[in-house]
Amino acid sequence: MSVKSKTISEKTAQLNELVSWFDGDEFTLELALDKFKEAEKLAIEIESDLNSLKNEIQIVKQKFDSER
Amino acid sequence: MASQPNQPIFSVSDFVAVVNQTLDFAYPMVEVEGEVSEFKVNQGKFIFFNIKDAESSVGCFMTVWQMRVPIEDGMKVIVSATPNVTKWGKFSLTVKAIRPSGEGALKKSFELLKAKLDGEGLFADERKRQLPRIPQHIAVISSVQAAGYADFIKILGDRWGGVKIDVAHTLVQGADAPDQIIRAISYFNQLEFLPEVLVIVRGGGSADDLAAFNDELLVRAIAGSRIPTLVGVGHEVDESLADLAADVRASTPSNAAQILVPDKNEMIRSVQGQINSLLPRMIQAIDQCRQAIGISLSSVIDQVGLLIGENEKLVSYLRNTLSQLNPEKVLARGYALIRGEPILDGMIEIETSKVIMKAEVKNVSKK
Repeated sequence: MSVKSKTISEKTAQLNELVSWFDGDEFTLELALDKFKEAEKLAIEIESDLNSLKNEIQIVKQKFDSER
Repeated sequence: MASQPNQPIFSVSDFVAVVNQTLDFAYPMVEVEGEVSEFKVNQGKFIFFNIKDAESSVGCFMTVWQMRVPIEDGMKVIVSATPNVTKWGKFSLTVKAIRPSGEGALKKSFELLKAKLDGEGLFADERKRQLPRIPQHIAVISSVQAAGYADFIKILGDRWGGVKIDVAHTLVQGADAPDQIIRAISYFNQLEFLPEVLVIVRGGGSADDLAAFNDELLVRAIAGSRIPTLVGVGHEVDESLADLAADVRASTPSNAAQILVPDKNEMIRSVQGQINSLLPRMIQAIDQCRQAIGISLSSVIDQVGLLIGENEKLVSYLRNTLSQLNPEKVLARGYALIRGEPILDGMIEIETSKVIMKAEVKNVSKK
C-alpha cells in the first residue's frame, strides 16, 4: 500500500469529499461534470488498487521451542 | 544368604544414587495420570501432593512457579515428572508440569483460574484497546501447518491486500505450546517497530487440545502485551481464558480475519454505489436547470406579449386619433373645403363630402 503515490484510505477520503460536494451548497452544474469525471477516475483507481494489492507474509526465523 | 562373588556392596547414599541413575536412564520423563490428594503449599514456594488411583499412591513435589493451572484435591491430572528416591528412601515424582485431565478437571481448573484472573481485573472491559481500522503491519502467532492458520491467511487475502504479516510458527497444543507462544509474544513486543496488531489463531479441537490457551502465564502474557491483541481460538462455542484476556476476541480464525480487515469487495461495491448515486444528482440538477430556463423563457414571452399588447393599444389609439383628424370626417360633418384665393370676382373651388364645385367670389368682407 505504501508504494502507491496515495494510499487507498487517502483516495477513499478524497472520493468521499467529492461525493459530498455534489450534495453541498457549492454544487454547480458547470463544475459537476469535471467533478464527476474526477470521482469516476478515483473509483476506478481504488478498485484497481484493491484488486492488485497482495499481502506479504514472512515467517519469523526466530525459533520459539526453547529459550535462546 | 551369602553374598555372591563380585556383587558390589553399596553405601546407602551410593545405593540411592545408583537407583536414581537407573531411574533416570530408564525413565528420564514419565507422564502419570491420577487423582490429586493431600495438596499443600509450603512456605509459598514448594508444593507437595499425592497422585493416586484405586490401588496405589505416589508422592509428588514441584515448585509454585511450575504450577501453570490451578489444582486442588480430587482433581484428575496428568503429571510430567522424573521419578526418584529421596535421601530418606522415599520414592517420589519431581513434577515438571501438571495439567488437568478429563472434561471435569479441565472445567474445574478453567473456572478456578478464570475467577482468579477476573478478580485481578485481567478481563475487564476498561483494559480493552481498539484495533486499527485497516492495519498495515500485523504479527501472527500460530502453527503454520494448522488448518486454522490456513483459514486465517486465506480469508485475510480474500478480504484485503497490502498487509505485512510476520508469522511466528509455534506449537498450538500440548504442554510446550504455552511457553512457545509466550516467547513469540515477547519477541514481537520487543521489536523496534511494533506490529499494529498481535493475532493468535488456532482452529478447533478437543478441550484438551485447547487447554494450552488456558495456561495462566500465557493468559498473563496476552493481557500484558504492548501490542493490541486479537485471539481466535477454536470454534464459536469454545471459550478460552486467552480469548477473555485479549483486547478483541474472535470466535474462529476466519472470524479473526473478518474482524481485522474490511472486505475489499464490499468496499468496491460501496465505491461503485457512490459513483452511481452521483448520476441521479446530476440529472436532478439538469432538470432543475431546465425548469428554471423554462420559467425564465415563459416570463420573457409573457413580457414580450404584454409589450406587444401595450403597443397595439397605442397604435389603436393613434389610429383613432388620426381617424378623427381625417378631412373627409370633417366634410362629413357638413363642413366644406375651399381652395383658391377668396378675392372679388375670383374663382374658388368648394369641396363638400359629396361634391366639388367651382364658384365666383361676389363679395368679400372682413369678419
